[in-house]
Amino acid sequence: MADGILNLARAVSAAALATEGVYSLGTGRYAEAATYEGSEKVSGVVVTPDEVEIHIVASYPLARPIPELAQQIRERVAAEAGERRTSVVVEDIEVTREDL
Amino acid sequence: MRIFNRIVVVLLLAGLAVLGVYMVVYSFEAFGRQLSDLSTALQGLTSGVEGFASDVENGSLPILTIALLVAIALLGLVLLIMELKPPSPRRVRMQRGTYIAPDVVRGEVESAAEETPNVLGSTTKVGAKRRPGALVNLQADVRRGEDTNAIKSELRERVQQHLARTGVPLGRLKLKLVEADPRQTKSRVQ
Repeated sequence: MADGILNLARAVSAAALATEGVYSLGTGRYAEAATYEGSEKVSGVVVTPDEVEIHIVASYPLARPIPELAQQIRERVAAEAGERRTSVVVEDIEVTREDL
Repeated sequence: MRIFNRIVVVLLLAGLAVLGVYMVVYSFEAFGRQLSDLSTALQGLTSGVEGFASDVENGSLPILTIALLVAIALLGLVLLIMELKPPSPRRVRMQRGTYIAPDVVRGEVESAAEETPNVLGSTTKVGAKRRPGALVNLQADVRRGEDTNAIKSELRERVQQHLARTGVPLGRLKLKLVEADPRQTKSRVQ
């Protein structure tokens, strides 16, 4: 079950990072956002029995409004998250290299 | 630690410190104080409390004491309400299941504000509430003698439009314009 949670966190992390407009995954602002098991952790995704929380850093300029980006992430991770409630937390907006 | 807990702990620790000082003074018989005098001092204290209690029973408290007691009761009530009030959330809620850090909202508001003509600089505070929407307090620096009403209206419109484009719901926008010396603001003017 625990290994399942880590695998789930990894799958969600990969799906979120593959979404256009996501620069990287966040690490949490007030507490580390990660899923732990043993000596391993997956940063940026917090998986609990009821919820999947995805912390992202969005790319600037924004390709679309943040709620749309969050909705797209939710759709991408829906298969992995299953019945769990999915939350998206935008921690920061990062200027992409080509825009510097 | 919230303010109510802080006050309780501060009062408790202050009381313990005072008692500690008394213990040291009486134990070492410093300043001519002896442990045998302590019972007399305590008797004085208890008689004072008894006198206060009998004044309360007789309804013969001085007006100043009544005012002080009422003030203490009101302060206690205010602190209790503050303690019972749930803390405001740390993240700004956008819609169901989507949140954004207040720092990100602040950055967006400031970038919109500083693109507004005649705004030399800005300071923003962003708060969150349980319902969707950010609480924004924006203070913008402008030159002396500018038409503040026109700037305020333009600034409000720009911030609202920018946040709408970004998709951040605005719960409340408070604007304050401050006349400033352009040489000392973020957008410096030579």
